Amino acid sequence: MSNELENIPIRQELEVLQSGQKRTNPLANVFDGLVKFCRSRSMFMLHYCTGCGAIELPPAMTSRFDMERLGIQPMVTPRQADILLITGYVSIKTLKRIILTYEQMGSPKYVIGICSCTVNGGMYWQSYATAKVLRDYLPVDVYIAGCMPRPEAVISGLRELMEDISSGRAESWKKYYQHYDYYLGNQQKLFGEDWQTPTDIIAEARHYDLMTEHTLGEHTALLEKHQKPLEALEMRLSVKDKQKV
Amino acid sequence: MSPGELIIELFLMPLVAFVVGLGMVLMYRRIGARIQRRVGPPFFQPIYDIIKLYGKHTQISHGLIHEIGIIMAVGGYVAAETLLPVPGMSGLADKGGVVTLAYVMMIPSLGLALGVGQCANPNGSIGISRALTAMLAYDIPFILVIFGAAYVYGTTNLADIIAIQQQQGPGGWGIVQMPLLALAALLSLQGIMGKQPFEIYIAPAEIATGPMVEMSGKFMGGLFVMQCFQLYTVGVLYTTLFLGGGEYWLTFLPKIFSVVAIPMMIAFVFPRYRTEDVIRLLWKWPVLIALTGLAVVLR
Repeated sequence: MSNELENIPIRQELEVLQSGQKRTNPLANVFDGLVKFCRSRSMFMLHYCTGCGAIELPPAMTSRFDMERLGIQPMVTPRQADILLITGYVSIKTLKRIILTYEQMGSPKYVIGICSCTVNGGMYWQSYATAKVLRDYLPVDVYIAGCMPRPEAVISGLRELMEDISSGRAESWKKYYQHYDYYLGNQQKLFGEDWQTPTDIIAEARHYDLMTEHTLGEHTALLEKHQKPLEALEMRLSVKDKQKV
Repeated sequence: MSPGELIIELFLMPLVAFVVGLGMVLMYRRIGARIQRRVGPPFFQPIYDIIKLYGKHTQISHGLIHEIGIIMAVGGYVAAETLLPVPGMSGLADKGGVVTLAYVMMIPSLGLALGVGQCANPNGSIGISRALTAMLAYDIPFILVIFGAAYVYGTTNLADIIAIQQQQGPGGWGIVQMPLLALAALLSLQGIMGKQPFEIYIAPAEIATGPMVEMSGKFMGGLFVMQCFQLYTVGVLYTTLFLGGGEYWLTFLPKIFSVVAIPMMIAFVFPRYRTEDVIRLLWKWPVLIALTGLAVVLR
């Protein structure tokens, strides 16, 4: 492993860097407020059931606690989802899938870490195969601690996220673009320096005007060095002649 | 009718359809919730969803055809609304008729197929091929029903069909005159609305919502709008053909809402059939009932 991976700063409190100024048109501000309110009242969740915490979601969704009365409903593809629920311990192999899924979701997107395992590794704190602290790899909006948290706790966490969204505090998806170098460095430390995803985060950061001095750095340079262009998979159907179909 | 009035009606009819359709989506979700012993979503949930989807920052487009496909999907139903007479407004109903309407109602599925084709997601391709196959299945009984209804009323003009039924009172309604055709239409409505048990092309757990798999942001919002129009269209069409249409909104709205509620109540207690079983079932029972109904009508 090269030297670049050694000097990732020790866990730092990342701030959302506010770049945008408030819109001057008062009507536009009213409109933004409406959109924010609707965002908080309509959340499609993609529950990535990585661990035991997933078992608390069905009761939270179904008749006993009924998430739908808060406007929260499950969705099955990352393209349609707003919140990514990570329920339980995250092994290194799973983390790759989580990052792929997260990058495919449409902004604004929110991540909720459920169970202690996503907070600090929980009972897997000494496991060699588990990513301990989720927010090193993805910006997490809300943690719901507990082993496992009961559905009441899950719903109270979701309500907290709703309040954060409607008041404009839940903007951690911007952190992923603004501090991409930090997140990528942590990812490379786990997956090796040739780690790459199909999503071009740097181009997206440019598109959303979220480039900061922390977006690019030594880790993104490493990414560019190893990046292979994506190619479409060749689709081929082969049927052996003698084999009866 | 003066051109000015016509333009106002062409603008108002889809708008009314959208608002009523939002109510139907709410009813659909509330019915599902009550059957599962839940509370269900709040009153404004459908509109929250649509505003949120249009307000997403990321709008992933897969190309021009993807966008045109969604416009076709919504536009097809907007065109259908102008052909459906409602109390106080008849729009283009005199010029169109039920045959034109049957054609226009196919445009959304074809538009969706175009748009999904551009996404190049295998789940989407599987989904849309299943959707078009399902269309083949439910359109046969549907066309038979339209044929029978047009024969009984002696016209394909929807405004005239309503007038004939209203002259004769409830005894002259289509559902009394041709109960078998009404039953066959109800069964094919389940397919047109894409609800369980004929919901294999959406199948969230298997092919990740099929045609919608690559739709995000405003595209998904467009599909949510399309769903509002779809529920409204099938409700109004059934009411027009079999329940005497509407003289006043006060009697018209309960009719269309109850028509849409029946397939929804059936939907939530059923799992889904496989595609070949959908075709087998829809080509067997509704077609058989519709053919018997036709025989009774033509006798």
